[in-house]
Amino acid sequence: MMKELRFRLILILAFIGLSLYLLYPTFQDSQNSKSVSEALKPVEAMIKKNNPDLTPSKVQDMIASKKDSILSNNPDYRTAREKRIKLGLDLQGGMYLVMEVNTAKLLEKLAKDPDQQYLDILKKAEAESKDSEENVVGILARMMKEKGIRMSRYFGSIREDDARIVARLQEQETDAVTRAIEIIRNRVDQYGVSEPSIQKQGSRRIVIELPGISREEEARRLLQGRALLEFKLVKDASFAIPIMNRIDEVLAGKVTDSTATAKTDKATNKNQKLTDEQFAKEHPFFTIARLIDPQGRVADAYVKDIDRAKLSGLLAREEVKKVLPDNVEFLYDNQSITDPNGEKFYRMYMVNKEAELTGGVITDARAEIDQTTGSPEVTMQMNGDGAREWSRITGANIDKRCAVVLDGKVYTAPTIINKIPTGSSRITGSANMDEAKLLEIVLKAGALPAPVDIIAESAVGPSLGQDSISQGFNSGWIGYLVVALFMIFYYKTAGSFADLGVIMTVLLTFGVLSAFHATLTLPGIAGIVLSMGMAVDANVLIYERIREELASGKTFKAAVDAGFKVSLSAIFDSNIVTLLTGIILYQFGSGPVQGFALTLMIGIVTSLFSQLVLVRVIFDYINSKGYKINVG
Amino acid sequence: MRLFANINIDFMGKRSIFFLISGIIILLGVINIAVRGLAFGIDFKGGTEIALQFEKPIDISFVRNQVDKIGLGDVEVKTFGGSTGILLRSELQEIPATVLPKVKSRIETLINQSNPGIEKQVVTSSSSSITYSFADSLTAEKVSNQLFSAGFQTTVAADDATGKSVVVRLGIADWLKDNLTEKFKDNPFVVQKEDKVGPKVGQELKTDAVIAVALALIVILLYIGFRFKFSFAIGAVIALFHDVLITLSLFSILYGVIPGLNLEVTLTVVAAFLTLIGYSMNDTVVVFDRVREHLKIHKTIPLEENMNRAINNTFSRTIITGLSTMFMIIILIIMGGEVLRGFAFALFVGMITGTYSSIFVASAFVLEYANRTKSKVTF
Repeated sequence: MMKELRFRLILILAFIGLSLYLLYPTFQDSQNSKSVSEALKPVEAMIKKNNPDLTPSKVQDMIASKKDSILSNNPDYRTAREKRIKLGLDLQGGMYLVMEVNTAKLLEKLAKDPDQQYLDILKKAEAESKDSEENVVGILARMMKEKGIRMSRYFGSIREDDARIVARLQEQETDAVTRAIEIIRNRVDQYGVSEPSIQKQGSRRIVIELPGISREEEARRLLQGRALLEFKLVKDASFAIPIMNRIDEVLAGKVTDSTATAKTDKATNKNQKLTDEQFAKEHPFFTIARLIDPQGRVADAYVKDIDRAKLSGLLAREEVKKVLPDNVEFLYDNQSITDPNGEKFYRMYMVNKEAELTGGVITDARAEIDQTTGSPEVTMQMNGDGAREWSRITGANIDKRCAVVLDGKVYTAPTIINKIPTGSSRITGSANMDEAKLLEIVLKAGALPAPVDIIAESAVGPSLGQDSISQGFNSGWIGYLVVALFMIFYYKTAGSFADLGVIMTVLLTFGVLSAFHATLTLPGIAGIVLSMGMAVDANVLIYERIREELASGKTFKAAVDAGFKVSLSAIFDSNIVTLLTGIILYQFGSGPVQGFALTLMIGIVTSLFSQLVLVRVIFDYINSKGYKINVG
Repeated sequence: MRLFANINIDFMGKRSIFFLISGIIILLGVINIAVRGLAFGIDFKGGTEIALQFEKPIDISFVRNQVDKIGLGDVEVKTFGGSTGILLRSELQEIPATVLPKVKSRIETLINQSNPGIEKQVVTSSSSSITYSFADSLTAEKVSNQLFSAGFQTTVAADDATGKSVVVRLGIADWLKDNLTEKFKDNPFVVQKEDKVGPKVGQELKTDAVIAVALALIVILLYIGFRFKFSFAIGAVIALFHDVLITLSLFSILYGVIPGLNLEVTLTVVAAFLTLIGYSMNDTVVVFDRVREHLKIHKTIPLEENMNRAINNTFSRTIITGLSTMFMIIILIIMGGEVLRGFAFALFVGMITGTYSSIFVASAFVLEYANRTKSKVTF
């Protein structure tokens, strides 16, 4: 008996311990958040002093975004931040958007020689699609068929039948969504939203969540704007490294007249003798931007993710601007690489500021497998104007590298091998097919075939979210007090055990939420509050039964045993039913409602554990000592 | 302490009275829903909703007056969480044709004012956006930025590779905010919450909600049928219909009657419906479980007697659990804030009807069914 009791006790303690461990980052993060707020107080005062005409809410916004960036970028805070229970958009503020490709516009553009008749049909199809499940392509095809017009009159070639054309148009629709997602992802990353979520829904929709965004107009603009694809020449090492040396010197505070090349040799010689600390002091630039090739044949450098903000701060200094020619700029790769220590690095390139060519000239791009080598490559075609320019550019820059830049991020920087006269080019060097596919998307991104419209959006300001959190938690603990007192009043000692069970339910619920990296929403908090009320249900059932059994003349021990045993089927059946509705709610709900379903389901499981295992252990323990418990 | 020790009420004997009461309430509710309808939130109806927080307290009727002058027609203005907050709502998807020229001329003036003598061309113009084309991409960029800082939602068009065209999107929310900023210069506001739902999305959400509720009922029907008897399952599901109908009826009857209680059917309220289905089921199952137990032990006692005993036995539990959950819900209604109030109210009504229906509808149906078909229920 005691042995079995001990096992259950260990189980309970293990769960409590695990929950506390899982919740520690959340606690840490809120402590960090407090200390950062404290540290930002003088900054806030300064902003207010320097800009007296700013409204208090604007100042709050500025401070909030500063705080967010500190919490998510500082490595000390970041781990806690990543592991904490995430708050939904309705609690921390942010934007939720659903975007949809405007297929009607796409069909208007893709059609060859669209006449009035076509445009009329398209308009009707578009109107019908507004309250129909069928998509525009399907409706258009049907309407054309009704009128006896073949699709091949406007699309593809004469010999193709309607089904094939429809299939291809639908493919192009999906293609447009894929490209739009890549563009949006790229921009959102640049904008510096922490923990964004961008997902494709169905064939034409994109669902975007941007937590913590306070300037929604700007975000909306960011998502809908034109993607800029550019080809930029990468500067040679012989040009770039001397400039980098100069920057390094300026930043270290020593401006000498010695030639840059001489300096490089010296620096490398000294390198061996210098400690890291000294090196950092003498070479502030190279400490942050580490050259990929120590021999200096390429001027690309690796920059730690967390150092990027610092570096752009350094580069913006007046004295640095003097030594950095204004026709070049530093750009980063779109993807980071991670070293064995888990540190994220970005590759940085020095490129010409002026683009050689923009993406509008690209007519097609395709990721393929090279027949002879078997490695992935991307081919692209250009229009006449583009091809002429491209021929000149490639001819004049053989053996140099040309970066493919989308919205300011480098996707690849291949070396130009020979002059390309027709615009038809091959880009090799993709590591795998996925990478090649991404490049294909990027190359086509410059000219998005159709606009992507916002069809639903929801934005919550940070202050409303903050209010909701405090309202939710206040309701929670006040409600708990009321229920707890009621239980003690009605069931005496046994009631207080049930109250302990409720505390454990809440603790475990948060623990599970944290383990699943689930998102807590306002309805989610309501779900927890509600499950606190319902958590005592199992105990009420058991206690009522124990009272009945006692009244029928059983001994205390026998009554307790019977109470727990007989009530089990009712507890089981009723909770399974609630769990089933929870699952359905989770499947069909969206955002906040899903959060509610999740906490409700977790609450059911954890409350069953607390009430059936924890409370039982207490009963059994006291029983084994030979004491009785007052069940009121 | 014991509230209902050794009670012995003949619940089942009074079932026809309760059938009548439930019937009347539901009938009234259905008539009311048919006549007055249900107020759906914008997540189902589609439209725009913005909550603004002003710096200083504002007079709601003054805001209403100002909003009316904008001429968008039916824009609802309500207070939102205190004296400095307002909520504006419109079912409109697009700026109406009567206001459109005003918006367009405003944009034209803005462009011409900052760029005298600029060359521009309207490419397309609809009720939701205007696209202008300019001489080159630099000018386009400049105009786009100017209009943006003036409060319009603009971008250089994404689908034009030359970058010469600028799309100005005309949204209800933008136009409202634009006008109010102008009118309340001395009392600036921030946007607390902004929601926009397109008509299609609303329709889809509605379908999803109906499917979810229907599916929940089917799953419960199957589960109870499997664990108990099929007649029990039917009784349980009828009880659930009863609860949802009465709650919906009250939403319709009380809409706009109690100040500060926003009784719109929104996504969250549907979540509350599903929760009350779960809760009401909880109660029903506890009663059924006891009925099953009694039927196993007392095979010779008639069903009606067994049911009465089971309900009397579990009555105390039903009330205690109901009370403890009710405490939580009442606290949510009072303290949970504007956003959760409708949700908590749905649960409040649902809890009462759920408790009631598990006794007087679910069990009573099983009994009525057994009596009519003269079948004997055994486990």
